[in-house]
Amino acid sequence: MTNRLLINLCTAILFALRLAHADEIDAASRAAAQRIAVGTCASCHGPQGHSFSPKFPVLAGQDAKYMVSQLQAFKAQTRGDADALGYMWGMAAPLSDQTIVGLADYYSRQTPIAGPRGDSSLIARGQDIYQHGALADGVPPCAACHGANAVGMAPNPRLAGQHAQYLMKQLRSFQNNMRNIAVMHGVALKLQDGDMEAVATYLQSLGQ
Amino acid sequence: MHPAQWIQKASIFQLLLSFALAAPVAQAVPSFARQTGMACEACHTVFPELTHFGRMFKANGYTLDNLKQVRDIDATKQEMLSLATLPPLAVMVQISDTWLNAPLPDSTDSHEHSQAGTVGFPQQLSIFYAGKVAPHVGAMIQLTYANDSGTIGIDNTDLRYANNVALENEQSLIYGISLNNNPTVQDLWNSTPAWGFPYGSSNAVVSPLAATQIDGSLAQNVAGITGYVMWNEALYGELGVYRSAQQAQLNPITGAAGPLDGTASNVITGVAPYGRVAYERQWQRHDLELGVYGATFKLFPGGGTSGAPAALSGPVNEFKDLAEDLQYQYIADQHLFSLAATRIHESMRLDASFAAGATANRSDDLTTTRVIGTYYFRHKFGGSISRFSTTGSTDAGLYPAGPNPGVITSANGNPATKGWIAELNYLPWLNTKITLQYTAYTEFNGGSSNYDGSGRNASANGSTYLLVWVTF
Repeated sequence: MTNRLLINLCTAILFALRLAHADEIDAASRAAAQRIAVGTCASCHGPQGHSFSPKFPVLAGQDAKYMVSQLQAFKAQTRGDADALGYMWGMAAPLSDQTIVGLADYYSRQTPIAGPRGDSSLIARGQDIYQHGALADGVPPCAACHGANAVGMAPNPRLAGQHAQYLMKQLRSFQNNMRNIAVMHGVALKLQDGDMEAVATYLQSLGQ
Repeated sequence: MHPAQWIQKASIFQLLLSFALAAPVAQAVPSFARQTGMACEACHTVFPELTHFGRMFKANGYTLDNLKQVRDIDATKQEMLSLATLPPLAVMVQISDTWLNAPLPDSTDSHEHSQAGTVGFPQQLSIFYAGKVAPHVGAMIQLTYANDSGTIGIDNTDLRYANNVALENEQSLIYGISLNNNPTVQDLWNSTPAWGFPYGSSNAVVSPLAATQIDGSLAQNVAGITGYVMWNEALYGELGVYRSAQQAQLNPITGAAGPLDGTASNVITGVAPYGRVAYERQWQRHDLELGVYGATFKLFPGGGTSGAPAALSGPVNEFKDLAEDLQYQYIADQHLFSLAATRIHESMRLDASFAAGATANRSDDLTTTRVIGTYYFRHKFGGSISRFSTTGSTDAGLYPAGPNPGVITSANGNPATKGWIAELNYLPWLNTKITLQYTAYTEFNGGSSNYDGSGRNASANGSTYLLVWVTF
């Protein structure tokens, strides 16, 4: 029994050391990640992570741990929404763990900006749902997991400044389990279409 | 007529017909999808039209990959080899049926009629090597069997070296070199000739006489080297030169592949300069490109026989082509819309042909305009409508009248050809397209009715075309 505990303890320490090592980014890795981000990722995700099209998410200021988890999910082909299959499974396949950490670090350090402001009444309604939930429908406040200002609470993603259409598409992916996240599946199922649009419009309008 | 005049006239006619008989070729290449691991929709709205990402994949030399590589490095960790464990091969098949609006006469002596319909099985079968070749080097090489030639020959080819750097302000700079065999085949937008609409078209129809040089007339018979830069994925500039590199042209003395002599037609003297500038702007789901491109070709008409060669010396025919183009794309998950347009103006200075009496004028001009609108729903159902027009100066030598049966001649020596193309498309899968296309001519080789002097009307050359196009 003692031996098993010892082995488990050693394994845990080694794993922690490996994780710590993976999170370390030297100058060369940082430069390599920047080159990939500017030379390849920017074609869809825009300069410094500010994508033009809502087909592609804004990455500027995204939480690094969340980005690592998503890139690993693309690489492992466990994230199953349509654009993940069509684009990111292939794109993430050759990325090493070190490069994934470097890319996550690069985008987390880019300055986020607010997206276009939509309808004011929609924003106000979205803010209310985001902060307090839609209790009548059993929707909890989003802020509880994504932060009061929607800047993300690791490992949950930043949502502030994200394209509203992208957010709605992801919520629908959670609804139909193409993105298979139990918590978000439950939340998205309860969200009315109008509330979904309101929350997405509110989040798009947020900046830093 | 003096023999030299016949030679000159024949060579110009041959030049025109070489375009007329060449079926437009445009493809999408599944080996790129295998190499990148990304679906067709990453690089194409619907093949072969490129998205912005597809354009950047091409500008970066077709080298983005996720395949296991055979690698080698030197002592300084410099990559010496990076080769996919499987070659990037792909196949394309086009099967078609064409119905001409009115059958053709059989010959000069007979008024019996041809069949109106032609089945192409295959119309075209191509094999591609398309993908990464080495670090920063990629290729798209196409070999095609076509039912009109009945042979396999080299088709569009583009070999590239490309690299990119991240500038200090986080902007990108892509730079590269393309070796290619068709002016504009290296271009990134679908508004220029080599990859322009119609993407698939019949090779069993009557094609008009006139076309500008840059509009496919020299395809696969030239070799070009061009250098390009693209700043911030927005501003594109390219300069290069082309030389003649003719296929199946033998030197009559040695029987070898060269050097070219007076039996060859339309041989570039020296090098032909090519230039391209384009600006692309993206906002939300919109993408707009505006650009200019052009080239100057100085050609010896040549076209003699070994018994009566036409020397590749003396005066030349000079073609100055200058074109503007525009492409707009709206790309959403459900709805995709694109608009492409180009206007090519060609100024001809035909000193060689005029001196030989093969043209009526020393100078001529030609203008081709095309506008295309395309819509797709969910990359699956769609259609295009296109307006095309070619107009230019009247020259009875350049666009000659002829005896019966006419058809490919012009009674009035005018090149004016105008019409519409409308097509419906269905893609059961992203790599399979079924097209029903109708082409209508309101004017053909200078006229609407009896344009050839033998009683044929422009509308008779309209056609209905069914195409099954599979790439895998």
